Amino acid sequence: MKEFIINTDEIANLISSLPADKWDILAPAKDGKSFDYVLSSDKPIINSEAPPSKISFKEYFFPKSETLFYYKREANEISLTEPKFAEKKLLVLAAKPCDAASLPILSKVFNWDYKDEFFNKRVNNSVIIGLSCAYSDESCFCTSVGLDRNNTKGSDIFLTPFNDKQYVLSVVSDKGDSFVKEFLPNLTEFTGTKETKEFIDNKPFDYKKTKDWIAANFENKIWAETGEVCIGCAQCAFVCPTCHCFDIVDENCDLNCGRRIKNWDACQFGVFTKHASGHNPRNSQEKRYRQRVSHKFDYYYEKFGEVLCTGCGRCTRGCPAGIDIGEIVFSISNQ
Amino acid sequence: MPDLIEIAKGLLESKEVSFIIGYTKDRFGRVKPYIAKSVEDANNLMFDHHSIHNLAVYLTRLKIPENGRVGIVAKSCDIKAIIALIQENQIKREQVYIIGMNCSGVVTHSTDEWKKENIQIKCKYCADKAPMLYDAVAGTAEPFEQPDDTQEVLMQKLETMSSAERWDFWAKEFEKCIKCYACRQVCPMCYCEQCLAEKNQPQWITTSPTPAGNFSWNIIKAFHMAGRCVGCHECERACPMGIPLTLLTRKMGMVAGKEFNYRHGMAIDQPTLVGSYNFNDNEDFIK
Ligand code: SF4
Ligand code: SF4
Ligand code: SF4
Ligand code: SF4
Ligand code: SF4
Repeated sequence: MKEFIINTDEIANLISSLPADKWDILAPAKDGKSFDYVLSSDKPIINSEAPPSKISFKEYFFPKSETLFYYKREANEISLTEPKFAEKKLLVLAAKPCDAASLPILSKVFNWDYKDEFFNKRVNNSVIIGLSCAYSDESCFCTSVGLDRNNTKGSDIFLTPFNDKQYVLSVVSDKGDSFVKEFLPNLTEFTGTKETKEFIDNKPFDYKKTKDWIAANFENKIWAETGEVCIGCAQCAFVCPTCHCFDIVDENCDLNCGRRIKNWDACQFGVFTKHASGHNPRNSQEKRYRQRVSHKFDYYYEKFGEVLCTGCGRCTRGCPAGIDIGEIVFSISNQ
Repeated sequence: MPDLIEIAKGLLESKEVSFIIGYTKDRFGRVKPYIAKSVEDANNLMFDHHSIHNLAVYLTRLKIPENGRVGIVAKSCDIKAIIALIQENQIKREQVYIIGMNCSGVVTHSTDEWKKENIQIKCKYCADKAPMLYDAVAGTAEPFEQPDDTQEVLMQKLETMSSAERWDFWAKEFEKCIKCYACRQVCPMCYCEQCLAEKNQPQWITTSPTPAGNFSWNIIKAFHMAGRCVGCHECERACPMGIPLTLLTRKMGMVAGKEFNYRHGMAIDQPTLVGSYNFNDNEDFIK
């Protein structure tokens, strides 16, 4: 891995010198008390100690609402038009390792049988600069799902703080390599050693074993106990970097035109599995919550060999009912 | 005064209630809703300034046995929601055993300290912090510094805006909405078996989280709270996008108070504002 030294001024220069008509920059910024990824913020925050944003950056790759095509009827002819796709490039700056890692996870789903061209285009048009993380709270558990503070999964370039003014910049992917060559050609090579903060996982589990327990415990009281306090919103799924369910609907503008749209959806909603007949196979929150955990730690693992979770803890921090997914999986794996 | 755990144990032991909806602390000290079903479980119950959740929401979410009774730990603001649910015929008075808590104000996040800046604005207006309808009372209220009503400042600012400016303000806020429906799910007064937002024949609300879809959702949710919102601020706490939802519901509550001299959730036998008709009802303020 090629490594360079980059100082804060050089990062500021990079931000101001990227041609604004070709590049958007997405970086964390502070809004009141919470952090959020903000597009073209004038105060991007590059700080490893910052907490994760309230909601992940997945919206920039898998928008909350996306037009697939427009339809129109004239006389008796029906015509379809494709939506305009903004070909602008996206630089994500200071992504948490637990955010960056979600892109390869989502990619597997969006390329498994059908290739989602919109998602792929957005990923191809982006460069992710990950930032080593020095934050942690009770909700984090990245090391339990095979990641860590310095994990470069999903990043094209990775920054590790070296001192107050300097970062070690590691080139992770070919895309990252071309980006550095084009926009940061004058960096000095780095040869020293980096020091980073250790992460102490307070709910360690082995994600490779969790799967079997979940499969064997389809009926366990933990689902009922969680389901009775879970109020069934989709906060957890919508803030999550890896949840990817969507609903496809048609919206008409009048009798003769409209568009087909893909919107975020989530398994915590009662209507998610409700059949037209009125029958609902997941007719209680207990079953719906079990689906959430099973999909993430069993079904996805079964299919793709990794879990559908980066341990970012967002779902937990924001849960209005105080449900902690890491704690649930931890207790599962310790039973 | 008997403490919460003792009361709860007594109720569960005598089987006077089938379970108690209360709060507990997880092993990291974070407070969360908890259902105590046995005398043993009762030991896990607690209450403090992090007991922010309005547990009245569970009265319509959980199955209350037909002729049975359940216990609920409630702050005075939560009791308003319980009263409102009784007024709206969703539960019967005898179905709930209310353990009213003397409250010292609550803070929004589980990690926030109990201090002025973090205490919820609603606590400023909570008359005496003592429960107004209860079967037992527990806890001691400690004096605390009143928070600043930053919302009132914003409300005044909105009042002075032109309708076009107000439209822009809300367009910007609603744009953020991701349609997670946490505001609905957490709301004790949102108990419809089928929400209007889930109806598709006809489709009243566009399901997309687009400007049009968000406006129809957020405005309809707010309208359905006219004269019904009890001001618990749970919707705003739950909203992951930080939309100031209670600005709307609080304003409507103020209108209900001013124009109809009505406040929801104050007395179980009072007819509801939207469920009763009076010839003298003021209507000239409706434009
Ligand atoms: S786990 Fe929490 S965030 Fe998720 S649906 Fe349940 S209450 Fe909502
Ligand atoms: S399930 Fe929760 S902890 Fe895991 S990736 Fe999603 S939001 Fe993060
Ligand atoms: S956990 Fe639920 S919402 Fe998330 S991807 Fe799986 S099925 Fe979809
Ligand atoms: S609308 Fe909001 S403040 Fe009003 S009762 Fe519902 S959750 Fe509470
Ligand atoms: S909680 Fe917030 S983001 Fe979610 S549906 Fe309600 S207003 Fe929208």
